[in-house]
Amino acid sequence: MLRAFKFNIRTKIAIGYFLILICLGASIVTVTDRIEALQNEVETITTRDVEVHNLIASIQYDAVSMETAQRGYIITGDESYLDPYDKGKSQWESNYNSLYAYIADNSSTQKQLEEIKLTIQEWISKAAEPTIAMKREGREADIIAFFQNDVGKQRMDSLRSKFDAIGNQEVQATKLHIMDLENKNRILTVGIYLLLLAATIISFMIVSFVSGSIVKTIKQVVETIKEIASSGGNLATRIKVNSKDEIKDLGDATNELLASLEAKSWIQTKVAEVATMTQGINDLQVLARTFLTKVAPMVNASFGVFYIRKGAGDQQRLEKLASYASSGEDAGKSEIRFGEGLAGQCAIEKRIFLINQTKDHAPLISTGLFQMEPRSILIVPVEYEDRLEAVIEFASLESFTTQHLKLMEEVEKDFGIAVNNVAGRMEVERLLSESQVLTEELQMQQEEMRMTTEHLEEQYLVAEQKTKELEKAKEELEDYSEQLEKSSQYKSNFLANMSHELRTPLNSILILSQLLSENENHTLSEDEEGYAKVIHTSGTDLLKLIDDILDLSKIEAGKVILTVDEVNLTEIPELMKLTFNPIAEKRGVGFAIDMAENLPAVWYTDGQRLQQILKNLLSNAFKFTEKGSVRLGFDHTDDGMLAISVTDTGIGIPKDKQKLIFEAFQQVDGKTNRIYGGTGLGLSICNEFVKLLGGSIKLDSTLGEGSCFTVYLPLLSQEMVDIIQMAQMEASAAIEITGTEQPEQTQSSGEEAAEEHVAGCVFAGKKVLLVEDDARNVFALVNALENKKMQVTVAGNGRACMDLLKDNKDFDLVLMDIMMPLMDGYETMREMRKQPELQAMPIIALTAKAMKSDRDKCLEAGASDYISKPLQMDQLYSLMQVWLTKQVGG
Amino acid sequence: MDNQQHFDLPDHTLDELPANEWEDIEIELLIEGLFRAYGYDFRHYLRSSLRRRIRNRMYMDGVQTVTGMLEKVLHEPDYVHKLTNDFSIKVTEMFRDPSFFRAFRERAVPLLDKLPEIRIWHAGCSTGEEVYSMAILLQEQGLLEKARIYATDMSERAIEQAKEGKFPLKRMQTFTKNYLQAGGTKEFSAYYTVERDYAIFDPSLAQHVMFAQHNLATDSTFNEFHVILCRNVMIYFNPELQDRVHRLFHESLTKAGILGLGSMEYLIAPWKQHYEELADGERLFVKKD
Repeated sequence: MLRAFKFNIRTKIAIGYFLILICLGASIVTVTDRIEALQNEVETITTRDVEVHNLIASIQYDAVSMETAQRGYIITGDESYLDPYDKGKSQWESNYNSLYAYIADNSSTQKQLEEIKLTIQEWISKAAEPTIAMKREGREADIIAFFQNDVGKQRMDSLRSKFDAIGNQEVQATKLHIMDLENKNRILTVGIYLLLLAATIISFMIVSFVSGSIVKTIKQVVETIKEIASSGGNLATRIKVNSKDEIKDLGDATNELLASLEAKSWIQTKVAEVATMTQGINDLQVLARTFLTKVAPMVNASFGVFYIRKGAGDQQRLEKLASYASSGEDAGKSEIRFGEGLAGQCAIEKRIFLINQTKDHAPLISTGLFQMEPRSILIVPVEYEDRLEAVIEFASLESFTTQHLKLMEEVEKDFGIAVNNVAGRMEVERLLSESQVLTEELQMQQEEMRMTTEHLEEQYLVAEQKTKELEKAKEELEDYSEQLEKSSQYKSNFLANMSHELRTPLNSILILSQLLSENENHTLSEDEEGYAKVIHTSGTDLLKLIDDILDLSKIEAGKVILTVDEVNLTEIPELMKLTFNPIAEKRGVGFAIDMAENLPAVWYTDGQRLQQILKNLLSNAFKFTEKGSVRLGFDHTDDGMLAISVTDTGIGIPKDKQKLIFEAFQQVDGKTNRIYGGTGLGLSICNEFVKLLGGSIKLDSTLGEGSCFTVYLPLLSQEMVDIIQMAQMEASAAIEITGTEQPEQTQSSGEEAAEEHVAGCVFAGKKVLLVEDDARNVFALVNALENKKMQVTVAGNGRACMDLLKDNKDFDLVLMDIMMPLMDGYETMREMRKQPELQAMPIIALTAKAMKSDRDKCLEAGASDYISKPLQMDQLYSLMQVWLTKQVGG
Repeated sequence: MDNQQHFDLPDHTLDELPANEWEDIEIELLIEGLFRAYGYDFRHYLRSSLRRRIRNRMYMDGVQTVTGMLEKVLHEPDYVHKLTNDFSIKVTEMFRDPSFFRAFRERAVPLLDKLPEIRIWHAGCSTGEEVYSMAILLQEQGLLEKARIYATDMSERAIEQAKEGKFPLKRMQTFTKNYLQAGGTKEFSAYYTVERDYAIFDPSLAQHVMFAQHNLATDSTFNEFHVILCRNVMIYFNPELQDRVHRLFHESLTKAGILGLGSMEYLIAPWKQHYEELADGERLFVKKD
């Protein structure tokens, strides 16, 4: 009970004073009471003794005055003398009673007094009364006889002595009283002194107890503080106070101070430990691992991950560098974007995140036996000069305390510098090793150069001796090279010359065989005439075949140049009539030409090719028509196309073969060839030409009833020709790319993740300029490249590309399509290479066809590398990695 | 550039030291020691080159005299590898001297086309860049299937590297340019995939290649070949060794076999008569007899 009550110092002192006051009060009351009692006694003694003395004196006086009066009367006989006697006689008895009452406590005195009374009564009865009676009776003799034998006088004398005795006795009693009082007085004085002494002792005890209890605890506190100060700062010591007063408060406050000091000193020690640990580490990964191993136990973390910042600008991200007690590589994300999740947010905000009581977590911490859920997660940013360097995440089975937080705050400051230093050192080391490698390579190259020089010097001497020989050889070589040049010229001119070279002899064969067959001189027999005719027909066929092959190869090699000019539409029928009327007549087949009304007089297209098309179609029609007619019709469609139809009543083409006949060397069946002759190239050439002219060809045919070929031609200009040509090639390439690429993407999505890890680093954030006009291609490529975290800018054609490059030349790589409207890839690359800043920029040409000549053209135009469509994405990625990697040397 | 100058300086100053007689003797002793103790035969290598390599190593390791080097060579087992590695000059590129490969494609391939099988010896292949180049070229010409390339080098380490068939990305742009200039008919990127900092070349290319350690100074021939390539190797040899190697090549070549040398190498006098030049200015020769 007492313990529970809090005695503070004020209470203690007040209680002390109060106790002292009580002691003083008690002694004063006692003393006063004693003095009063003494006074009362003194008063009693005084009044009683005086009264007793008075009464004794009164009785004595009464006795004396009675004797005197008796004697006076006896002598004189005068009655008046008897008055004092009567008076005395009446008085003494009352006095006696009073006195008797006073001395009731003293039996010896009472006896004496009773004797006195008896004596007085005897005197009265024996001496006074008889004498007075004798006088009255006049018996003088008796009187004298009486007095001779004076009995009265004896009485009186004994009375007197008795009074004296009693008087003395009373004086003695009074004296005894006084002595008694004096004694009492003395005792009182002593008592007062004793009281005073007692009060003093009690006061002293109280004071010493109160002050002792205060001073003792203060001393205890002071001693503990001294101890802490002296023992080299063992801050773990605490002040123990048993009392429950202000000193305890002081002690508690001091303990709190000590606790905070200890915490601070703990933090400082740990910070120093971390700081010393980071010294001498030259590798970020080692640093990160060491840090985690060191710091995780400090904060009681059971799991830790260390992320380092990689990349710059928008591409900043966190990469896992090390982990603490992780279960393999899978724990923790290997890469985190800024702002992604709390770790990413921490990277942006650069403040510590503490999450307690995380319950909905997958078990993260594993021991040999268990998987446990973390209770608390701590995410700490590491900064250097206001720039985030790393993010550290700890998970713990316990809660992180504020002390842990403070520790992390402190550690983070110094550690940022350490991370920066190590990163710097690593960079320096890397540069150094790179430069060493470079130096080594340079030395090697130098060595080789030196050897080369030495040999050259050697050779120079030999060479000098053999100058003549060399000169001779040189002449030979020159001859040889001339020959070579010639032969290559032959080769290159072969195709071009073939026509001429073959035609010249063929021409003569044709002319001569015709002459022979006409047999005007009739020198030939009929058989011989027939032979000549066969030679002529065969020659014509051969010539046609040569032309056809040439045409077709030219078209396919893209060597046909269209010349668009005015074509007079009235002229063409005339030309056709001229050519085919004879044939019609010869075969007995009708030939009619229909011209629709409102036909324009002129049409812009390549006249020569148009004629070629019509000739091919007409000859084809005549070839397969044995009876009936062939009709050539001119019309125009609603959408402004020229429609030329060739209709025959020939054998017709089966439905399933209708597509086939446009392909080279294809006819309806092998028999046809034998019956009707021809190579089957005619229709393919027609088809190719029509396409070149931007038109289309349509076939309607019923087997056995005839066929109708309709050619639709647009109104052309030279520019449109170019556009059509490009568009056609593009479209075919684009179909190829979209056709093959799409499934590949889905297929490789699984591998992509793994690949991403490796290639992602190279690609991430790289700026790629895609110059491509085909929307499908753009769509596919942009998606694929952006998947690899590249920043893709698209230019629709060469011109757009050049415009774009005017403002921004900051690209890491250019993907350049070749076939584009307005400005094609070749021209664009040439233009780009003219600009000094763009000379080193990697340009990858996307060629539509894998043709050698196209590639050479690309390289000539300034492409760094090429890749052909359809694009193999893996190949493109590999190639891009090569061109995005910084090169050593040149 | 600064680095280059910095590292150039000592080499340069060393170079200017007079090649005094004592040092010559020491170098002879060192080379003799290498041969006698380890069988590495540099006795017929050009002294000028060896002296520079030795001086460079001495400078790098702070060795004062060549005799000091000899001591290290004889008493520190690993040192010999360090030194011999220095002696093998590993300067190579894919399609190095593109015009050579272009000439090979244009002139040599037609000659090989007719053969039922083609055996090629690439002597001194270093880390294999040119071996892979040749394999690519042959594949593009449709010859790889019937070809067998024997790639050899005196350095075991180089051979090990060559077997891997991977080359640093940071040199690939040069290789690509070379390929294009050498008249490559396909896309260079079709031959490799990228893994981290390396371009890994299609392993099917190496299926027709056999790598082996071979020392031109000491070992003899091991087959008959239709083509022998030995580029920028013999520049380090003295005339005596060059003669030996040429004899070796001549013996190893089939009739009308093709010999390819480095761009700055020439056929030495006695062997010139046995060969005919195949391409102008390129070191491609056809065995005449």
